[in-house]
Amino acid sequence: MVANRRTFLGQSLAMGAGIGGISAGGWGALGLLSPAWAKDEPPLGTWPAGSQGSSVFIGITVPRTGTYAVQGEDELKGYQLAVEHINAGHPLIKAISPKTTKGVLGKEVKVGVADDGAKPNQAVQNISRFISENKAVLMTGGTSSAVAVALNKLAQREKVLCVVGISGSNDTTGKDCVRYSVRECFYGQTAAAGIGPVLLKAFGKGKKAAYLTPDYTYGHTVQKSMSDFLNKEGGWTTVTNQVSPLGAPDYSSFLLNIANSGAEIFLNINWGHDAVLSIQQAKQFGVLDKQKLVVPYQVPFLAREVGGNLLEGVYAATDFWWTLEDKYPLAKQFVAEFEKKYGYKPEWGANACYMQFAMWANAVETAGTFYPPAVIKVYESGAKIQSTVGEVHFRPEDHQLVRPVVIVRGKKASEMKGKEDYWEVLEVLPGEPLMQKPDAFGCKLGDYS
Amino acid sequence: MFNGLVLGALLALISSGLTIIYGTLGVLNLAHGAMFMIGGYAGYLTFTATGSFPLAILGGALFVMVLGVVMERVIIRHFYGRPHEDQILVTFGLSIVFVEAIRFSFGSLSYSVPPPPWATGVTSLGFMLYPTYRLVVVGIVAVALLALYLVLYRTRLGMIVRAGIEDSVMVDSLGINVFRVFMVVFGIGAMAAGFAGIVNAPVVSLTPDMGEMILVQTFVVVVIGGVGSFPGAILGGLIAGQILSITSMINPGYAYVMLFAAMTLVLLIRPRGLMGLRSRD
Amino acid sequence: MKPVPRSRRRPFLVEGLTALGLIVAPYVLPHLGFAPNTVNQILVWGLFGLGFDILFGFTGLLSFGQSAFFGSGGFIAAYLLTQDMIASVPLALLIGTLGAMAIGVLVGLIALRRTGIYFAMITVAIAEMFYFLENSPLSAWTGGENGIPGVPTPKIDFLVSWHVGTGWSMYWFLALCYFAGIVIALRIVRSPVGAILSAIRDNPLRVAALGHSVGAYKLTAFVVAAGYAGFAGGLLGVLQGFMPPDAFSFDTSGQLVMQTAIGGVGTLFGPLLGATVWLFLSEFLQTALHLGSAWKLVLGIVFVLLVCFLRHGLIGGFKDLHRLIFRRAEIDVEAPEEAPVPVVAKAVALPARHREGDLDSGPILTATGLSKRYGGLLANADIDFTVKVGELRGIIGPNGAGKSTFFKMLTCEVPPTSGKIVFEGRDITGRSVTEVCQLGLTKSYQVNQLFSRLTVRENLTIAALADLRGKFRLDLFSNLRKVAGLEERVEQALELVGLAARAGTMVSALAYGEKRRLEIGLALATSPSLLLLDEPLAGMSPRERVETVQLLKSIAKGRTMIVIDHDMDSLFELVEWITVLQEGRVLTEGTPDQIKTDPVVREAYLGGVHEP
Repeated sequence: MVANRRTFLGQSLAMGAGIGGISAGGWGALGLLSPAWAKDEPPLGTWPAGSQGSSVFIGITVPRTGTYAVQGEDELKGYQLAVEHINAGHPLIKAISPKTTKGVLGKEVKVGVADDGAKPNQAVQNISRFISENKAVLMTGGTSSAVAVALNKLAQREKVLCVVGISGSNDTTGKDCVRYSVRECFYGQTAAAGIGPVLLKAFGKGKKAAYLTPDYTYGHTVQKSMSDFLNKEGGWTTVTNQVSPLGAPDYSSFLLNIANSGAEIFLNINWGHDAVLSIQQAKQFGVLDKQKLVVPYQVPFLAREVGGNLLEGVYAATDFWWTLEDKYPLAKQFVAEFEKKYGYKPEWGANACYMQFAMWANAVETAGTFYPPAVIKVYESGAKIQSTVGEVHFRPEDHQLVRPVVIVRGKKASEMKGKEDYWEVLEVLPGEPLMQKPDAFGCKLGDYS
Repeated sequence: MFNGLVLGALLALISSGLTIIYGTLGVLNLAHGAMFMIGGYAGYLTFTATGSFPLAILGGALFVMVLGVVMERVIIRHFYGRPHEDQILVTFGLSIVFVEAIRFSFGSLSYSVPPPPWATGVTSLGFMLYPTYRLVVVGIVAVALLALYLVLYRTRLGMIVRAGIEDSVMVDSLGINVFRVFMVVFGIGAMAAGFAGIVNAPVVSLTPDMGEMILVQTFVVVVIGGVGSFPGAILGGLIAGQILSITSMINPGYAYVMLFAAMTLVLLIRPRGLMGLRSRD
Repeated sequence: MKPVPRSRRRPFLVEGLTALGLIVAPYVLPHLGFAPNTVNQILVWGLFGLGFDILFGFTGLLSFGQSAFFGSGGFIAAYLLTQDMIASVPLALLIGTLGAMAIGVLVGLIALRRTGIYFAMITVAIAEMFYFLENSPLSAWTGGENGIPGVPTPKIDFLVSWHVGTGWSMYWFLALCYFAGIVIALRIVRSPVGAILSAIRDNPLRVAALGHSVGAYKLTAFVVAAGYAGFAGGLLGVLQGFMPPDAFSFDTSGQLVMQTAIGGVGTLFGPLLGATVWLFLSEFLQTALHLGSAWKLVLGIVFVLLVCFLRHGLIGGFKDLHRLIFRRAEIDVEAPEEAPVPVVAKAVALPARHREGDLDSGPILTATGLSKRYGGLLANADIDFTVKVGELRGIIGPNGAGKSTFFKMLTCEVPPTSGKIVFEGRDITGRSVTEVCQLGLTKSYQVNQLFSRLTVRENLTIAALADLRGKFRLDLFSNLRKVAGLEERVEQALELVGLAARAGTMVSALAYGEKRRLEIGLALATSPSLLLLDEPLAGMSPRERVETVQLLKSIAKGRTMIVIDHDMDSLFELVEWITVLQEGRVLTEGTPDQIKTDPVVREAYLGGVHEP
C-alpha cells in the first residue's frame, strides 16, 4: 500500500540521515523527518496543528476525587507508564507497536491530567481545555460510562480521537458509539456471555437470582445482559432487582429485600466504592452466608478493600489479572514493569489504559500520520495486535476491541501464595463468540470529518 | 420497619448535635457531616494504634470535640455579628476543607473498622436476620443520647445551654459568659457527630465523602423535629429512619426523595417542626 | 450592598465598560493563560450568577437550589434541539428560559413561604429532588446520567448570517448573551422593583408595613433568578454540545454560591469575577502546580480565608482598597453634629393624599370590643375607641398597659383575638398590614425600623414608591428616577422632617434624633390619612423633644394623628384629646387639662415610670 511504502521510505531516510540528529538531542530532528503524506488534506480537529512540533499532547481526565477515585488513580498509573515506555521506546511497547522507535512518529508524548470526579460535565470541560490550549491529538477518560459517553460525543464533535479507559456499559460501543472513539475493555454483554456459562456449570439450572444494580446506564445494561443470558440459557429466574443510587451510604434496605427474596445467587453489579460497601454490608446482613455472591463486572482493588476473605469462592468476570503473566509473555513484562515502578501488581484498569495508549501508538505508527481519519482507518482495518492478553483486533463496525474475557474466582486465604494473590483465573474465553452482532445495540458510527 | 429504628437512632444522635448548635449559636454548621466523617477516621487511627474498640470510640469523639472547640474559637466566633449567610458560607467552606484534607492524608481508598468481636455476626430476630452490630449501635446510641440528656437537663451547664437556646441575649445579660457557653455547646455538638462517626464505622467503610449524604439527612431530621429541640431531634431521627425504611421496602430509589418531600411538607405546614421552639427568623 | 448607583453625568458607564471589557477580553486573556473554553464557561457562570446575585445579593434570599432551574432550562432547550422540534438555537434557549421561569414560579410559591435558614433548606431539598427526577423517572427524556448529547451550535440567519463554531467563535455569541443579561440586570436593579428588593433585604417587615407586597416582590426576584439560571443552563448545553446531568447537582448550586461570595455579593459582577478566580485556580492548581487531587483542598482553604477576611468578596476588597488609597469619603462615617432642624415653615407640604373613600369628617377609625390575648396574658381587653377626621389624639398609660399592642392591632400587624376595626367606613379587621397601609393607615415605630444600608433619600423613596405605585407593580424595566411624582414626594418628605441636608447619608451614620425623624418621615411619605406614632419622642434629649413636637404639630395639619408617648408634658402640649389605658383596658378619656388633674389617672401612675 502506498502508505506503507512511503512510511518505509520515510523511516529509512530518517534512520540514515537522522542518527546524527538523534545523538544531537533529536526529538526535533526525528519529528521534522516524519512523512506528511496527508499534508494536502484540510485541517481537521487539532490536525495538523497538534502534531507539527516536536511533541504531541494527550489529554487525560480521570476521577481523582469521589466514588471512583481509587480506580481513577490506577488508570492514571497505567497511562503514565505507557507514556514513559513510548517515549523511551521500551521493548514492551515495541512488542505491541512494532514500528515505534521513540515517541510516536518520533514525537515526544506529553500529557495533561485533570480530575473529573466521575462527572461527565467536568470531564468534557477538562478535555475541551486540553484541545483548545494544548491541541491535544488524543483524549482519554472513562471509569464512569457516563463520562465515556460524553467524551465520545465530544470526540466526534471536535474530531479528536478518543480512546476510552474503563467503561462497562454496552452503550459505549452500542447506541452511543462514534467514529472517533475506540474501546479496549470488556463490557456488559461480553461479561454476561462469558461468565454466564461458568455460572450455569457451577450452580446448575433453574436458580433464583437477586440483583443489586446501580442506577445508571452501566448498571442497567449489565444487569439486562446477565439476566437475559441466565434466564434464557439456564432457566434462572430473577426474584428481585434492587436498584440503588450511585454513592448510596447504606444498603440495608436493599439487602434486607434481597435477604427476604429467597434468592440463591446474589449478583452484585455495583462498582467502585459502592461495590465494596454493598459487599461488606451484605456480609453483615448474613446475605453472603445464604446466597452465593457473583460479581459480573469486576472492580479493581475490590478484594483489597473488601477484606476479610469475603470474596472467597466468588465468581467474577474481568479484563485482566496479573497471574495471566504465566500465560502471556507480554503480560509478564507489563506486570513486572508496573510493579517495579509502583510497588504493587496492576489491576485491570491500569492494564486497559496502558494497552489503549500502546495500541494508539501502534495505529499512528502504522498510519504514518496523525491525521485522524487515517488513524481511524488503521483501527478499522482489523489488523492483529499483540497485547497483554494475546492477539486482539478491533471490530470495524463498532470500534470494540475483540479480546478475551477472563473468568476468575476468589481464592481462599489459605490458598493465596502472596499478598496480592486474590483471584484464581479459571478460564480465558475468546472474545469473538461472546460479542453481540455489530448492529445489535444500535451502533451508527458517524462521519470521518 | 425495624431497620428504620437503627437508621433513625444514628441520625437522632447526629442531629441532636446539629440542633443544639443551631439552637444556641444560631449557626447552621454545614461542616457537621464532615465532623461525622472525621470522627470515623480518628476512631480508625485510635483503633489501629490500640486495638481496642472502646478506646477507638473515645478517641474519635474526643478528637472531634477538640476540633469543634478549635473551630469555634478560631473561626466561628468572629462570625456571630455577621449575617447568617456568611456563617453558612464559612461552615460550607470548612466542610470542603475538612473533606479534602482527609482525602489528602488518607487517599480515597476506603478503610474498615471491624466491630468488636462480641458484636460480630448475625442475630436472628425471628422474622429476619439482622447484623448484630447494628443492634449494638442502637444500644450505644441510646446510652449516648441518655448521657446527652442528663447533661442538658440535669446539670447547671445544661440548663444554661437550654436557656441559651431560648434566648442567648438574655443569658448574656444575666452575666454568664455566653462565649464560653457557645464554645462548650459547639464542642458537645461536634462530639455527638464524631461519636456517631466512629460508632457507625463498622457498618460502612470510611471514605472522605461519607459525611455529605449524612449532612443532608441531618437537616431533614432537624427540620422535622424542630430546630433547637433535643427531644425533637430524637423524634425526627426516628421518623426519618422510618420514612427511609418504609419507602425502601416499596422502591428504594425514592427513599431519599421521600425524606426531602417530608421535610418540605413540614416546613410548609408547621415550620417550627414537631417540637420546636419559636422560629429564629 | 447598596443598589448599583447610576451617575447622572455618566448614565451608561457600567454598560459601556462591560461592553469594552467583553470586546477586549479575547485579546488579553489568552496571554494570562485562559483557554477559550474557560472564558466561555466563565461567561456562562457569570450569567447564571447574575440572577442569583439579584436574589441573594439584592433581596437577601440565599438559595442553594439554583441548579434546579439551571438544569431545567438547559434540558428543555437541549431536548427541543436534539429532538428536532425546534431548529433555531436562540428560540430554544428562550423557551428553556421561560420554562425555567415557570418552574421558578411553582417552586417559589412553595419555598418562599419561609425565610432565612428554612428557605435555604427547602431550596436544598428541592434541588435534590430535581436531580433525582432527572436521573431516574424522567431519564427517558433527559438521558439519565448520560445527559443529552449532540446539542447544536447556534446558526443565525436573521439580518446577518452567523454560524457559531466552538472556541472563540462561541465566545462572541456568549459575550453577546452576557451583555444582554447585564443590561437587563442593571435595568432591573435600577428600577423601582430593584430598590424595593434592596429594602427587603434590609428590613422586610418595614417594607410590608410601608405598603409593598413583599411576597410578590420576593417571588419576582426568585423568578428572575430562575430565568437567568435557565438561560445559562441552555447556553451550557450549547457551549459543550452536551447537556450534562450534573447541571442539576447540589455541587453546581454550591459552586455558584461560593463563586458569588468570592467575587462579591450584591455587585452583579461578583459571580463573573468569582467564576474567573475559581476556574482559573482549579486549572492553575492542577496543571501548573501539579497538586493532583489536593487542588480542591487548596481551593477550599482559599475560599474560607476569603470569607473570613473579605466580607464583601473581592470586589468589596477592591473598593476598600480604592477608598483607602484615594481617601475619598463617600460616606460620612463620623457621627456628625446634629444638623439644626430648619424652620418648620415648610409645614404646608405633603398633604394627605386624597384616596377614594377618604373622609372629610366624621369618625375615621372605630374600634369596637378589641381584645388581644397572648396565651394566658390578656394584653388588650375589650377596647372601644373612636377617632374623628382631623383629630390629634394621644394615648397614655403605665408600662404594660397594652398601648403598643393596641397600635399593632390597628395597623393589622397583629390580628385581634376578638373585636372589630373600621377604618374610613371599611372593616379592616384581619387584613394585612400592607393592605391597610395602602388604604391610608400607617405607623411610625417605637424602635426605629429603618433601612440601615440605604441612604436617607433611598429610605424615603421606598416609602413613597408604595404610595405612588400600589402594593405591587412589575415595573422591572422602568427607571427609578422617572417614576412620576417620586422625586417631588421625596423632597417634600425630606423638607418636612428636616433631613434635606442629610439626604445622601447612610442611615447607619445618622445621629439618633435624625433617625427618629426619618422614622416619622417614612410613615409620612406614604401619605397616610391616619398616622399612628408609637413613642416618637423615645430616647430623645429635651431639645430634641421640643423640636420634634414642633415638627409633629406642623405635620398634623390636614391629617389625623394618634400619638402614644410617656412624655406627658410634650403630649399634653400636642394633642387635643387623650385616651388613658391601663392593664389592657380604657381607663378614661379627656382633654389634656382634665387628664392632668384626674386622680384616677394619677393613681394608675403611682410608682410608675418617671420621665428621663
